[in-house]
Amino acid sequence: MNTAELIFQSITTLTSPAEIAWIEEKLPADAKGISLAFVMVPRIIAKHSIENELSIITGWNWKNATLDQLVRVYFLIHLAEKEDGKSRIETLFDTAEMNELVALYRALPVLKTPEIWVQRATDAVRSNMGPVFDAIAFGNPYPQIYFSDLAWNQLVLKCIFNDKPIHLIEGLDKRANQALANTLADFAHERWAAGRRVPSQVWRLIRNFQTESIEQDVARLSKSEDANDRKAAELIINNSPLEAWKALEQAEPIYTA
Amino acid sequence: MCQNPNEAKLNPSHFEGSNEEQQTAQEVEGGFASYIQGMKFFDPHVHMTSRTTDDYQALADAGVVAIIEPAFWLGQPRTGLASFKDYFASLVGWERFRSSQFGIKHYCTIGLNSREANNEALAEEVMDILPLFLQKEGVVGVGEIGFDDQTAAEEKYYRAQLELAKEMGLPVQVHTPHRDKKKGTERSMAIALEHGLAPHMVVIDHNNEETVKSVLDQGFYAAFTIYPFTKMGNERMVEIVKQYGSERIMVNSAADWGISDPLAIPKTAALMKIKGISAVDIQKVTYQNALDSFAQSGQINEKDFIHGLEIDQSLKFNGNTVLRGGQAPRVDKNSIFIR
Repeated sequence: MNTAELIFQSITTLTSPAEIAWIEEKLPADAKGISLAFVMVPRIIAKHSIENELSIITGWNWKNATLDQLVRVYFLIHLAEKEDGKSRIETLFDTAEMNELVALYRALPVLKTPEIWVQRATDAVRSNMGPVFDAIAFGNPYPQIYFSDLAWNQLVLKCIFNDKPIHLIEGLDKRANQALANTLADFAHERWAAGRRVPSQVWRLIRNFQTESIEQDVARLSKSEDANDRKAAELIINNSPLEAWKALEQAEPIYTA
Repeated sequence: MCQNPNEAKLNPSHFEGSNEEQQTAQEVEGGFASYIQGMKFFDPHVHMTSRTTDDYQALADAGVVAIIEPAFWLGQPRTGLASFKDYFASLVGWERFRSSQFGIKHYCTIGLNSREANNEALAEEVMDILPLFLQKEGVVGVGEIGFDDQTAAEEKYYRAQLELAKEMGLPVQVHTPHRDKKKGTERSMAIALEHGLAPHMVVIDHNNEETVKSVLDQGFYAAFTIYPFTKMGNERMVEIVKQYGSERIMVNSAADWGISDPLAIPKTAALMKIKGISAVDIQKVTYQNALDSFAQSGQINEKDFIHGLEIDQSLKFNGNTVLRGGQAPRVDKNSIFIR
């Protein structure tokens, strides 16, 4: 089965016959008709929460997302196949309300020729709308596969800057790099100077690289009043495997403040 | 105008309350909040694009749980379609998110305002993109549309947008002109009826003592904008409710880039309570009628905001309860420290 078929199969298990009938009625439409169907989805499809993880493509996480988003993605896959699909999708981006933006960014990894949307995808990283940033950043394999190092590093840095949990980013550890490690170390120093903290798990992105200040930084973490920081120092000193860092994901006070 | 208390005695209005009420109203000036404890408000006309986040905080503190932002004139004319498109997109995008950070449900109405209807070339282009926006989630009507100078172009696009509203089954939010108001209001209603719109689908806005009777008699909703100097004062509003009751009457702030007050509804509710308007009537004109009229769009679900803004499942990820750039931490405005 291809991606669209897998998605449709999931949709059928989660919707009513009337909802399915509506989707099937709209699908043969031209590009304009499918664009309109994309916009109309919440008027027809209930916003049920998707309770179980869907296996469609690797790293594309749907648990606790809502059904209307999945149906919108399904329409977008078909829209992208049309001759004027790209310009129609551009228009949807330009006129989108917040939930539509979320669906658009969630859809990028499964659209035809996903690489043409890289510039758009970085707009989501720049967005100040929380849900829009999250749509590209979390449970979405698109950045891992298509972002340049520069765009990737910006995504990770902005995530940390906005006190959001980096461990929800797909490919986080695989794409760790020297430039990011340097930037994150500088960022930690700025936060410390301001009397604030960085999430202790951030050091997992620095541990495998040699930064100028790594010895002093580890020494400082070791003496921290915060148990998570001391744990991070210990993990670096012991050269612990990635698995051991998972303990710091949920425990981070910044994420629950 | 009797809004200046110093002038009230020289120029007594037939709406003026007793001396005792006058006294109370002045005493309560700074402390209206204590009169509206537990009340919830729905402001069906406020231009938050022109306001700061401090206003959102103040609205939330005063019990405003939902708002409608009509598309309007930004103080100077737009010169291209892209400006309109980005403005409409901001009403359903960024502004909606900004509002949600303060726990306030944000809806909007989309339309071509009367002033800019006079640029016909641009107006034609705007008409083309309106249907796309009118289909969006949380767009609860066509608005604000109607007359300003009452030109032929204004009439043309008012009529075209009434047709659009009818076709899409959406309520209409009608701006009535500042100048030649009474005639403009009558004309707006007559044209709406001529196009076959049911009066209960039309909210006639910016009413005053001179227009209200006809609006209600013909079956339209009558909205009153509590806005210093140029529109209604809230003391006058209390008298309107005393005289006409609460059926199909609603108040709004229409707060924008002018000298206006986003807290107009909570303040008016406080004044109504002080002046003996019943709790039921206050609830109707400051919440229920706005809700009932615009809910005819099928785009408002009271459950989404009445018990605080429930987290939309689609805003959550992985059941993670992390604030998604979410509820902004409170800032103590009186503190000398900025941290």
